[in-house]
Amino acid sequence: MTGFVIRKLLRTLFTLFLVVTFVFFVLRLTGDPVSAMMPDDTDPAILDELRKQWGLDRPLGVQYLEYWFNLLQGDFGNAYRDGRPAIEIVAERVPATLKLTLTAFAFIVIAGFPLGIFAAVNRGTAIDRGIMTISVTGFSLPNFFLGILLIFLLSVTLRWLPAYGSDHWYNLIMPVITLGTAGAAVIARFVRSSMLEVLNAPYIRACRARGMTERAIIWTVALPNAAIPTITIMGFMVGTLIGGSIVTETVFAWPGIGRLLIDAVTARELAVVQTVVMITAASMVFANLAVDLLYLVIDPRRRYASGTGEG
Amino acid sequence: MEGPAEESKPDHPTPLEISGLTVSLTTGAWKCAIVEDVSLRVRSGEILGLVGESGSGKTVTCLAALGLLGPAWQTEGEIRLARTRITDAAGAGQLVAVRGREAAMIFQDASASLNPIEKIGKQLTKTVARLRGVSTGKAREIALDLLRRVEMPDPEERFHSYPFQLSGGQNQRVMIAVALAGRPELLFADEPTTALDVTVQSQILDLIKSLRDETRMGVVFVTHDLGVVKEVCDSVAVMYAGRIVESGSVERIMNAPRHPYTLGLIESMPTLSGHVPEGIEGQVPAPDKRPPGCAFAPRCHRAQERCWTQLPMGAQGDGGDSVACFFPLAGDLGRTERAEALSRPRLADGPDLDTLLSLNDAACDYATRRGRFRAVSGITLSLREGDRLAVIGESGSGKSTIGKLMLGIEPTSEGSATFMGRPVPILGTSDHIAFARSVQLVPQNPFLSLDPRATIGSQIEEPLEIHGIGTRQERRARRRELLESAGLSPDLAMRYPHEISGGQCQRAVIARALALRPKVLICDEATASLDVSVQARIIELLRELHRMHDLSIVFITHDLRLARSLCSHVAVMRSGQLVELGETSPMFEAPEHPYTSQLLASMPDVEATDSRTMETMQ
Repeated sequence: MTGFVIRKLLRTLFTLFLVVTFVFFVLRLTGDPVSAMMPDDTDPAILDELRKQWGLDRPLGVQYLEYWFNLLQGDFGNAYRDGRPAIEIVAERVPATLKLTLTAFAFIVIAGFPLGIFAAVNRGTAIDRGIMTISVTGFSLPNFFLGILLIFLLSVTLRWLPAYGSDHWYNLIMPVITLGTAGAAVIARFVRSSMLEVLNAPYIRACRARGMTERAIIWTVALPNAAIPTITIMGFMVGTLIGGSIVTETVFAWPGIGRLLIDAVTARELAVVQTVVMITAASMVFANLAVDLLYLVIDPRRRYASGTGEG
Repeated sequence: MEGPAEESKPDHPTPLEISGLTVSLTTGAWKCAIVEDVSLRVRSGEILGLVGESGSGKTVTCLAALGLLGPAWQTEGEIRLARTRITDAAGAGQLVAVRGREAAMIFQDASASLNPIEKIGKQLTKTVARLRGVSTGKAREIALDLLRRVEMPDPEERFHSYPFQLSGGQNQRVMIAVALAGRPELLFADEPTTALDVTVQSQILDLIKSLRDETRMGVVFVTHDLGVVKEVCDSVAVMYAGRIVESGSVERIMNAPRHPYTLGLIESMPTLSGHVPEGIEGQVPAPDKRPPGCAFAPRCHRAQERCWTQLPMGAQGDGGDSVACFFPLAGDLGRTERAEALSRPRLADGPDLDTLLSLNDAACDYATRRGRFRAVSGITLSLREGDRLAVIGESGSGKSTIGKLMLGIEPTSEGSATFMGRPVPILGTSDHIAFARSVQLVPQNPFLSLDPRATIGSQIEEPLEIHGIGTRQERRARRRELLESAGLSPDLAMRYPHEISGGQCQRAVIARALALRPKVLICDEATASLDVSVQARIIELLRELHRMHDLSIVFITHDLRLARSLCSHVAVMRSGQLVELGETSPMFEAPEHPYTSQLLASMPDVEATDSRTMETMQ
């Protein structure tokens, strides 16, 4: 089991290495920060001087090695414009994004699981069909559209909530729904089918035969078994949430790293972009690592899994 | 076995009484009776065998008695357990209170009937706490005691095991312990040993008998295996197409069956004495296609006009003798008369012919995470043209590995495997494709080896297409021929696997295997998942194919009776070693190796004179 964890960790680190390398080269091959920053009629000599000053005139390979050299010492580089360390700029924005994504994640679990269970238990009834129709609608709506729809309905028409801002708890409502609806819909469907499969298993019939109540069977036997495959989807969900937060933060002017990323890409603030991408990539990769480890905790069959012969 | 004093419960003279039970299934506007007018009675301390082929309604009857059928099912008639009339039970709450306390149930697949992610000790403890209303600490003690009572090896240690860490037999012991948790007066045992090895099977049967002696609970033992019935039951009720057709004491039923169907079932059992099973022609009619008269009439040689139109009076499954037949057999029909009437002359074994497949001092290793695991070693045996070789042994003995070596699915780690003098090519190499035309596999589960989304016909044609044989018309013609030689109607070509029965599926798989006119057919437990009567007919088919098509057969099985009835030679495997090899009859009559005699002794046998005194292997 320790071997398994070490292998997973090594793979995680390798993935991060690939991400850093890929982002480094793609950013530098797609545009020059100096010409993006200065007015079009700037003297070329000044542009050259700036490039030299920021180290952009040296060969790409050298820049790449230097970047790693600094990175390993914890230096993520500085923003070109105000010279502040990129890590500092990003760190200011992380709490807002964390608040948004974690709340959305909670929303996904709290809405998705009960809906899925409820649909499975009432399989084939109007309740089931209703929940599944809502679910299809939920993950078919692009989240920018859902966001705009919510603003139109709740802010513009009904005037219940402000269209943007991030100071109060109620500012979270619309962004969280926008970000979490698709995930909740996917989880609901997945939990439903997983529950249906488990509810047909022989051990459920055996539980009934020994007089367990239906409620006890659903919550103490069926749900723990059905939750196991759902964990994988939850890992993916973290990725979807981070991707979705870029759009959601833009729609609701939420001061998180998603919006920071958009601004930094436009301004070609290479160090900032790189730091944001690295942090998001790391959180996704570690979320998946966490899922793999979680499996070992909740599924005894994996804990004891080992190769066996046969007859 | 000592148990706490509170284990004993007042006896109820009849813990189960069913009268006039009809169970129907409603789907949409369509309603169909699955079980019709069934009456049963089980006395305390009695083991009643409920026997019949699948689809006869045995399991539905048991589930109905526990109120376990879903909302689509309706029951009429009366079911009474020790204290509760199930048919009057008010709502789900009362049913839940009955289950586990008045009657419990164990199932065929014990390993799948336990929660896979909870330790067995915990599952047992929770059940005890709930059913007996005791504290968790006390329940834990009782649970451990129950594990001891079901003779679980190392109960303290196993207490902390998950179901997947235990064998099928151990899981069945756990299931039995769970069933005993609520001290029920009645136990429904639904094919509890069907999935187990013979030696484990006889241990579980002994356990059920000794628990019955100890607790005086009544047992309804559902099975299709008459050998098991003879072993364990006091009385028998034979079900056919949803009705009880005959009932009586086990001695009377086995020695003097009066319903033609019962006789057919008994004669379908392969026996250790080399009895060739006949099988029963035709199939159990589907519930919605039952004829107005006796449901067995279409398959019955004795049927007369009256049988087709009138329903014979139902038999009562109350232990007393009764038979639902207008023209029952004379009860005193002797064994020899029956055997003579039904037996056919055994086929003589062919003369010495060339060797087709041989293994020469072969060994096979499997790679596992902990290194290499030797599945078989030092195997030397050969299959000559016309041979029917049985490879027998318990699971884990390496018998499937022999098949894999012969098919080139696994390479030999030592020694060699040869086919007609040349090495067997390994699966995936270019030589293997040509080799596969000569040696074909018939696997255990026909449903798994057929594509659920392709018609039977197209799957039978597929090998011909792959090997580019014939034109489209020629392949169609060959397909028809293959279906017929496998005993299938050509109309089935357009059906999908789920639209036909298990026996038909296995026939389709055999037809597909025959498409390339192979010399050797390797059957890996090919009949293990089929009903006895279907099993017998598949064996009959294989025997016929052997005769008509010059096929040589390797028949891998754990069922010694099938081996005896089909094969000319037998190889006995144990723990990866070949312990005995020889011609069938001499070996069954005078086995040389002690393990072979052990295997023979632990086989439930319909014809054994008194197998009740048989000793269990340790």
